[in-house]
Amino acid sequence: MKRNYILDPLGEMKDMYAAYNEAIIELAEINDKIVLLYADYAAGAAGDYFRKRYPNRIYDFGIAEANLMSIAAGLADTGKIPFTHCHSIFAVGRAYNQIRQNIAYDGFNVKIVMPASGMLAYIVGASHQTIEDTAALRVIPNLAIITPADPVEAKKATKAALERQGPVAIRLARTIVPSGVPTIYREDFPFEFGRAVEVADGDDVTIISSGALLADCLSAIEMLEKEGINARLLDMHTVKPLDDKAVIKAARETGAIVTVEDVSIIGGLGGAICELVCDKFPVPVRRIGVTDRFGQSGTIEEIKEEYGLTAEDIVHAVREVKKN
Amino acid sequence: MYGPEVINDLRAKAKTIRIDALQLMKQSGICWIGGSFSQADIVVALVFHHMRHDPLNPKWEDRDRLIVSKSHCCETVYAALAEAGYFSKDLYSSYARCNAVLQAHTDRRAPGIDYSGGSLGQGLSFAIGEALGARTDHATRYRVFCIMGDGELNEGQVWEAMMSAVHHKVDNLIVIIDHNKFQSTTEVSVKMNIEPIGEKWRTFGWDVSEIDGHDFNQILGALEKADTVSGKPHAIIAHTVMTKGVPAFENKNYHWAWLSDEMYAEAMQALK
Repeated sequence: MKRNYILDPLGEMKDMYAAYNEAIIELAEINDKIVLLYADYAAGAAGDYFRKRYPNRIYDFGIAEANLMSIAAGLADTGKIPFTHCHSIFAVGRAYNQIRQNIAYDGFNVKIVMPASGMLAYIVGASHQTIEDTAALRVIPNLAIITPADPVEAKKATKAALERQGPVAIRLARTIVPSGVPTIYREDFPFEFGRAVEVADGDDVTIISSGALLADCLSAIEMLEKEGINARLLDMHTVKPLDDKAVIKAARETGAIVTVEDVSIIGGLGGAICELVCDKFPVPVRRIGVTDRFGQSGTIEEIKEEYGLTAEDIVHAVREVKKN
Repeated sequence: MYGPEVINDLRAKAKTIRIDALQLMKQSGICWIGGSFSQADIVVALVFHHMRHDPLNPKWEDRDRLIVSKSHCCETVYAALAEAGYFSKDLYSSYARCNAVLQAHTDRRAPGIDYSGGSLGQGLSFAIGEALGARTDHATRYRVFCIMGDGELNEGQVWEAMMSAVHHKVDNLIVIIDHNKFQSTTEVSVKMNIEPIGEKWRTFGWDVSEIDGHDFNQILGALEKADTVSGKPHAIIAHTVMTKGVPAFENKNYHWAWLSDEMYAEAMQALK
């Protein structure tokens, strides 16, 4: 079973938001329309950089997410490219109508950066661990959604989001201690907006992952290979628009799909895949993700164990889906 | 003080746009006549006198922007834009129909509209974004005018926006509050009292003036005075009359209504 583009063994632990900050600093030098907007979210290295070099291109509005998003829309109308920054849960939770009505409805060129998406924001607990952001955003027209799997992909996703005209949500997993997620990809891997990355080929089953649990999927396919099951592994970084072709191809060629994400199995990547295959090429699907419950504090290992997000859970789901 | 020709011209425009607004209301059946008419004189003062804009170039980079945050009161706004030459009055007949350029809340489909509203309390933030856009690379500092409702001030986001406009010294932003004393089903004072409005905005750090929102001398005077104050955003509390222009309906709650034939006839008679 061939692996594509990945580091073996996996690389250093690195914070995805720090990687995004590296990208935005590079991009600021070549695109003077970029303006950074914050609702009291830590700006980090990008903040220091912009405040020194481009003080007219960075604004913080305090803990006021609704205000942040509506301002971003107005600023985008003047030709600027605003990047908003606040906790994922508060973007989709407290500024949902603003994203929908002010940004998405008229397709303003705003990039909505959403750090701490998903259960991997493990220690801060239920109020901050999003389970609903993919599902809630997917149903808004005109809004693209990217969920990078590692820091290398986070940088490429940022560049791709900038190149794409129109609103894009960039969901970034953030762990606190240790700070970071494993680096999975080689620097030179090809990233294309809307196109899934085939990380591993295989014809017995397909695992489709979105986000940082890709690392756990890699462990899972190792375990499956030992059992004689060759799994195809797709990194579906762009959840909307989905890479329909890759999904239908996988359904046709492998006959069964397991989806993997660290948010709710209702309406997220899993929901999207089910909608598509039911419509175009029905095959059994099992969804790994949060099963309709809220998060809680814990260590990252405890959270993965408690919420069924481990490599073993993925392997189990593969065995289940192949029984059908 | 402004010359009688100026004032009379604005009064004539104000009558025209009220009559045109009635055509939109008649064609669709729905109307927000109370708030559309209470704000009409303010809209006229902005569109036909105070704002720098070009109807033949609706996206002129250095134009002053008009953000109608109380977007349901679209009828007099559309009428003013049509009268100014942004689009043909032929569009009136398709108002609020499917695929129409003129939607039932102000919508960017219409030339001259920069803000697609309908969700109250968001327009002020949007206006701040528009105003901040002048900061980086504009040779002229365009102004952003934002018309808000008094009931709209209930929304929490308004206060977020108020704080941030002062903190970031957004002094090319001028808000006009159409204080017609009604919201939705009853008086503002009964539903959710927001007085003292002027004092609240002043305390937040805004440059505030209070005027009769139907006296063109006062409207123009307040707008011009706002241009002389720098370093802080500007709020003009315009005391207005619900459904101003049709005496039988004035100060009555016509926030939203189905425009009956009788109402239409009564209004047209008053405006003749």
